[in-house]
Amino acid sequence: MTKRNLSILLAALFVTIGAAVAGSGRMNSEIPAPPAIGATIDEFTLPDVDGQARELKSIKGKNGTVLIFISVQCPVSNAYNERMEKLAADYKPRGISVIGINANASDDAAAVKAHAAEKGLTFQILKDPGNKVADKLGATRTPEAYFLDSNNKLLYHGRIDNSQNPSAIESNDLRQAIDSALNGKPIEKTEAKAFGCSIKRA
Amino acid sequence: MRLMRTILLTALLALAVSFAVPAQKRRSSRIAKPAVAKSNVEPISTEGLKALVSQQRDKPLLVNFWATWCDPCRDEFPDLVKIDNEYRPKSLDFVTVSLDEVKDIKTQVPQFLAQMKASMPAYLLDAKDPEPAINAIDTKWQGDLPATFLFSDKGVLIYKHFGRVNTAELREQIQKLVKE
Repeated sequence: MTKRNLSILLAALFVTIGAAVAGSGRMNSEIPAPPAIGATIDEFTLPDVDGQARELKSIKGKNGTVLIFISVQCPVSNAYNERMEKLAADYKPRGISVIGINANASDDAAAVKAHAAEKGLTFQILKDPGNKVADKLGATRTPEAYFLDSNNKLLYHGRIDNSQNPSAIESNDLRQAIDSALNGKPIEKTEAKAFGCSIKRA
Repeated sequence: MRLMRTILLTALLALAVSFAVPAQKRRSSRIAKPAVAKSNVEPISTEGLKALVSQQRDKPLLVNFWATWCDPCRDEFPDLVKIDNEYRPKSLDFVTVSLDEVKDIKTQVPQFLAQMKASMPAYLLDAKDPEPAINAIDTKWQGDLPATFLFSDKGVLIYKHFGRVNTAELREQIQKLVKE
């Protein structure tokens, strides 16, 4: 082996190692804070899993919209697949649209599509390349939910409920927020937190 | 010469592949089937966590929140073990808090820590509702993992980092406190 060939091989190896080590992307400390409850969320357009552009205004519910940042690989997000699907089915007749957003740089559109088919997720899922919407909403983890009224006013932000384990749910925060809004009552808890996987930003 | 070239190429290829395989795929080989391990992981309540971070001590306190299901948490752990070896117990207290389920306290949590040769005190949060624990540490923290916090000897939060730790930055912050 010539010295030149060896140099090329070593250079390629270091690039591979560098890419693997640096794969975590932008640090979450640099992400803007989420909008305040009551703030109006700007309209946005994102591609669906087939690459077709979808405007929020064309897919939102007439009584409100739930945006949930989701992931293909995150075990916490996956623990909520059935619950998210049921949420979409339960509230669709009441004019609430559930939209999943995948902002992970590590999940490409094909993987997101295959994952949705495998897990039986039938609600609309959008891809957020470059994390533009995740940045606007200050989203940091999966799953993380935002409930907007019909005018895109943010009514609730945070967890779906208090536990990844369905048998340990004690506080169904997202559903309570939606029910209160639909019944014209004040939302008791407008923000709630839980642990989740960091969004893997580009 | 040809044999040497083959050996060298094979070794380099194996090394490259080992780095390129995503952590998610590596997990299955790193966590063996759940077996009961000797657990040195203690459960900690939200109140216990509050007391831990707010009490006065003779050294700064570094706290890392992680879980076995969190890939970047697993990936950063060797760096944390190095920092632990450098600074604790002489000039720093360092504890880890796992957000795995309580049922994992004697299986996959200690197994992973043993694999990492991690000897710092290890806790697992035992709380039905995670929100009070998150807010007890930092009200601006949304709960994304991994998360690392550095408290002064007076229990004041000095530095925080969400996502995979930046070791150079963390060392700099620790050094500042250690010098004071």
